[in-house]
Amino acid sequence: MELNPATLLELFWHSLSMWWLIIPAVMIGILMGAIPGFAAHNTIIMLLPLTLVFDVDLALTFMVALYCASHLGGGIPAILLNIPGTGGAAATTLDGYPMSRAGLAAKALALSFVASVVGGLITAGITLFLLPFLSQVGFHIRSVEMVVIMLFGLALIAAIAAQDMLKGLIAGAFGLMLGAMGADHIYATPRGTFGILELFDGVPLVPALIGLFAISEALVMLERRTIAKTNAAQVTPTWPQSLRNIFHAFKHGWTIAWSSVLGLVIGVLPGAGASIAAFVAYQQARIFSKTPEKFGTGHEPAIVAPEAANNGVTTGTLVPLLAIGIPGGSTAAVMMVVLQYHGVPFGPRLFITEPLLAYGVIMSMFVAYLFMLVTMFPMARYLSRITVVATYYMAPLIVAFTLVGAFVPRGFMTDIAIAVAFGVIGYVARKTGYHVAAILIGVILGPLIERSFLLTMRIHGNDLMALFSSPIGNVLWGLLALTLILPPILHRRAHRRGKAEADDVY
Amino acid sequence: MSLNDDRPKKPVGADLIIPVAASLYALYYVASVWDFPPEAQRSGIFLAAMLLLFSGLFFVRVGLMAVRGQARWDFSAVLGPTERRLHRAGFLGLIFVYLFVVEWGGFTLTTFAFLFAGSWLAGLRPPGKAALFAAVAALGGWLFFVVVLGTRFPVGPFERLVAMVPTPWS
Repeated sequence: MELNPATLLELFWHSLSMWWLIIPAVMIGILMGAIPGFAAHNTIIMLLPLTLVFDVDLALTFMVALYCASHLGGGIPAILLNIPGTGGAAATTLDGYPMSRAGLAAKALALSFVASVVGGLITAGITLFLLPFLSQVGFHIRSVEMVVIMLFGLALIAAIAAQDMLKGLIAGAFGLMLGAMGADHIYATPRGTFGILELFDGVPLVPALIGLFAISEALVMLERRTIAKTNAAQVTPTWPQSLRNIFHAFKHGWTIAWSSVLGLVIGVLPGAGASIAAFVAYQQARIFSKTPEKFGTGHEPAIVAPEAANNGVTTGTLVPLLAIGIPGGSTAAVMMVVLQYHGVPFGPRLFITEPLLAYGVIMSMFVAYLFMLVTMFPMARYLSRITVVATYYMAPLIVAFTLVGAFVPRGFMTDIAIAVAFGVIGYVARKTGYHVAAILIGVILGPLIERSFLLTMRIHGNDLMALFSSPIGNVLWGLLALTLILPPILHRRAHRRGKAEADDVY
Repeated sequence: MSLNDDRPKKPVGADLIIPVAASLYALYYVASVWDFPPEAQRSGIFLAAMLLLFSGLFFVRVGLMAVRGQARWDFSAVLGPTERRLHRAGFLGLIFVYLFVVEWGGFTLTTFAFLFAGSWLAGLRPPGKAALFAAVAALGGWLFFVVVLGTRFPVGPFERLVAMVPTPWS
């Protein structure tokens, strides 16, 4: 499919025709994004029965609209309560909350909304035009490179996203091991299934993701009485004030554009999610600012930069998923599970067999952001209350509606039990600092890495050295080694320097 | 006294649960493919070796910390704050009860019972409020997912009863 103006227009109208789905998805996304600690992927998991019933294009549109909107919603509690709704909004608290305390909460919210929407529109537009080139990447990747890319992706998640790299690697490898459960690819003999018949086809992904994300989240949530503090600042500006604030925010167009592109680039890297992008954008905005001393005191560019960047990440995380079939983060992993359920292929095959769907994902994002332009006016007035949600409502709701969602794909009661088992694993992992997303991505990649590994072995006559036979693969092996070796060295060096400075003081 | 002795010891007991469980699973996995032909064993053994290597490194790290007196065996991290710990355990127990009941109780009735008991255990008072919340959510879920979307949820007495009543959607 050639991406010409006529095709773009067709894609645009197709996405626009799904307004009846995008608007509720945007509303739900903003509301849920504004609940601290309740990420977009959890909302998507709660609504899995819905996305599994829909046609695949509707399901995908619903998920991406919700995902984008949740990033916008995450800025609301960051500004009003000093609690980021999503990880990507953590940097927004630095200047958003001081503005709120100075009585400028409505202005800060308008800055956050405009930066999110414009940043999202810019990056969705750029990705749409780059996608025809990115989709070609998959053609140059063979089974040898796929093995290394998958290991490299997991290593990046461990090195960047996990607080402790070794724990991140254990989580990823554990996920791979669980993902390799089930009948083997050659003799169809079951492996590591504990004799459970329902596991012969491998770990069912929907119950696994429900357990790892939703059930474990609900169990952790119960440790608090409410999801946010109850002293929310109540902000209800007049309509003309809201309009003025929104137009004023467009003055920061350059910062928004640059930061969103930065977010897009960072978003493409597996594991480097919205929180990293937001802090990098905040830092670069300060470096290039004429008034860097005002950062941290309630400065306007310090709100737009992280907000634009974390919305730039939303399209970036989908690029590796669409181009080579490797999820770059939690939400992309959840989307991959839903798409796999619908039998949608990934990588170059997606662009050949389902081009409308492949390009339509990004166009749906673009359209979702357009709808957000409209919805943010009323949202800016009334959203400050929703962050106060008692956990005694949320936790049972999450468990009840997601557990039954585990039953939907195959109709096996055992799948509900599998979801609970993964819930317990996820809970222990969360409480002890193991990265839950790394486990899930491992579970997803387990069968894929095994297939690529076996294919490589078969092609090269069971010679293990074949894994080092490709130039691209060898470069990736080198990068993988650097990813594993550099962080501990840098950490040790920083530790020594800190110790030396402390000794100097004494 | 040296600076090291003053440093608070790091609780490590709970941190070992995942690597120990993962290593045990890796060993079980290897045992399950032990009699397979070599080409069918290779990928599993490759993954198991990788997992055992990372877990081994972690055990060495914890061991070194223990030898230096920097580690403390403590599993409380996994149990969360002591306040309302019993209630949370009860909530987890309720999830296991849900597993066994939903098969014959069906979606609506089991969801109502779970939400009522779960929200009460989680701190929602008075019980009437919990019952109202559970009823609204369970019926709302049934209407949206089962009636409107036709989602295939477990069927129980409530769903069977409604199916017997002639309705515009049936």
